[in-house]
Amino acid sequence: MSASKISARACNVFYGDTHAIKGVNVDIGSKSVTAFIGPSGCGKSTFLRCLNRMNDTIDTCRVEGTITLDGENIYDPRVDPVTLRARVGMVFQKPNPFPKSIFDNVAYGPKIHGMAKSKSDLRDIVENALRRAAIWDEVKDRLDAPGTGLSGGQQQRLCIARAIATQPEVLLMDEPCSALDPIATFQIEELIDDLAKNISVVIVTHSMQQAARVSQKTAFFHLGELVEFGDTDDIFTNPSDPRTESYITGRIG
Amino acid sequence: MTLRSKSLFAADPHIQSRKRADARFKLYGLAAILAGLALLAVLLGTVIGNGLGAFQQSYLTLEVELLESKLDKNGNRDIEEIKKVTTFGYDPLLTAAAERLIETQNIQTDLRAKDIAKLLSKSAVSDLRDFVVADTSRIGRTVSFDFLVNARVDGYLKGRVTRESIADDKMISAEQLDAVDQLVAAGALVKRFNLDFILGSDASDQRPEAAGIGTAMLGSLAMMLVVLVLTLPVGVSASIYLEEFAPKNRLTDLIEVNISNLAAVPSIVFGILGLAVFINILHLPMSAPLVGGLVLSLMTLPTIIISSRAAMKSVPPSIRDAALGVGASRMQAVFHHVLPLAAPGILTGTIIGLAQALGETAPLLLIGMVGFIASTTPETMGDALLAPNSALPAQIFEWAKRADPAFYERAWGGIIVLLVFLVAMNAVAILLRRRFERRW
Repeated sequence: MSASKISARACNVFYGDTHAIKGVNVDIGSKSVTAFIGPSGCGKSTFLRCLNRMNDTIDTCRVEGTITLDGENIYDPRVDPVTLRARVGMVFQKPNPFPKSIFDNVAYGPKIHGMAKSKSDLRDIVENALRRAAIWDEVKDRLDAPGTGLSGGQQQRLCIARAIATQPEVLLMDEPCSALDPIATFQIEELIDDLAKNISVVIVTHSMQQAARVSQKTAFFHLGELVEFGDTDDIFTNPSDPRTESYITGRIG
Repeated sequence: MTLRSKSLFAADPHIQSRKRADARFKLYGLAAILAGLALLAVLLGTVIGNGLGAFQQSYLTLEVELLESKLDKNGNRDIEEIKKVTTFGYDPLLTAAAERLIETQNIQTDLRAKDIAKLLSKSAVSDLRDFVVADTSRIGRTVSFDFLVNARVDGYLKGRVTRESIADDKMISAEQLDAVDQLVAAGALVKRFNLDFILGSDASDQRPEAAGIGTAMLGSLAMMLVVLVLTLPVGVSASIYLEEFAPKNRLTDLIEVNISNLAAVPSIVFGILGLAVFINILHLPMSAPLVGGLVLSLMTLPTIIISSRAAMKSVPPSIRDAALGVGASRMQAVFHHVLPLAAPGILTGTIIGLAQALGETAPLLLIGMVGFIASTTPETMGDALLAPNSALPAQIFEWAKRADPAFYERAWGGIIVLLVFLVAMNAVAILLRRRFERRW
């Protein structure tokens, strides 16, 4: 387990009086893809948002237990969530580009983190991010066009480019393909494969085929509990828990 | 199942009655809108019909000989000595000019020249004196000067005053009106556009023809400046804090409810508050636009806070998520993303708030901005803020309660000016919204 990038121990999450996540222990490896699956409302998105402290913005949300990034507790009072989020990027369910130009969308993160020393530096960072997000060829001639004018799939790849422009070590993806057609989904999945060569990717998905296609590890959540966590191949072919089996065969969820 | 008829074309009584209800509802809506439009047309028609007259004024052109013997006895053009000649010293010049007018225009009348001179406004002599003091080289020459005529004569030209209505009037006689008719026919007495109504100051009870709304307009502008400078930063900061940073607890709930309540507090209450705090405790000057602006700011703040919060609330949360997700701080998320998207709403709310403040009279009553305020056009910014002044709606109210019907006409004219201001402000609000609106 020395290769794990993020480790959660006895993680509990509460929304007011609602106990949303119950004692989750999980280790997320580096340079690999981990998928979270489970029926709606099982807490997989909530748990994902704990990993870069996006839940901090919700007043009633309370997180217990420890979550470590490279062995450092991310809920330590000394941790600034801003630096954490620069290292743990996020892509959301609905593509949410800023209503600015394509260039400005990608350049925003590097700009606020002072990653570019000069304009040409910034241009290189933007180009590199757009290339890695496999959208460069489609937008290179219209970087000044508004990001909101792109198609759904392009917008989501733009959001991925925006997230990887700050060179995060972990990329959290919350159902990134739920609003996309199969072709765009395929492109994003290829992209995830590619990204996982360098960074660790955590993806929440409703599609079990997708989990099976892109991930090396899969975690199955049910009613706030982590029911089963293991190699993707094992989960889908030989689940040890009956609830997992019911879910992947379509009997619950 | 059996209730439904087989054919799509068959008339079903239930559907028929539903259709009639639809049609009735449409009709009610249309009737309501038409009634509203009709009332608006009546309102505008009345305002324009009654008020347009205020933008025109009648002038009598006289050839005045500026006699050196009357105005500058020593002949040394010493401005201090010339200033010592009061308006009484100018009276004979006007009488002489009137006499010359009767001769040159061949006016058939039994009236003496003095009575013809009485057709002029009471401000005619001081206008002439100002004209001479402004440039003393004019002394000794004969100048052609357009004098305001008094409100009765002006009203006669505008149809407001008739021969029947002046039967008991001591200000003007039928003989004078005969003379007026001849002067109009001769082209010496004309009605034309009156810029002084738009630019000038209020005048005393005796001289409605000289009253203008310009100074009150500057008073309103000065107040709007104070309101804008105070409420925009305070209101926007307050709403940013409440909307984006404040924890949701009892205290912030209480603040929210009270801001909504403040927006509904009658404006005269803010006037009392202004009197108590700004004038009685802080000893700021009475009738000053600065105090008026402060009072109106208090009144406008809740409106601006409420509309700014609504504008920020309408920015989708996904934009905040996106900004936070790439590692922006909360303040960066607000200032880089939320605020630019909310700007059109905030600006619109601010302008609507300003327009509301512009039309407010009640709070001004209590801080002494309503009434005859003998003001002149302020020359410096300090004067504009601190010298006693009125405001557009206060000036209209003041004119409407004066006895002379000539003031009544000016009150309607003032309403036209006020409406033009409001329409202009709303147009700016719409333009800003169109200009800055962005889709996401």
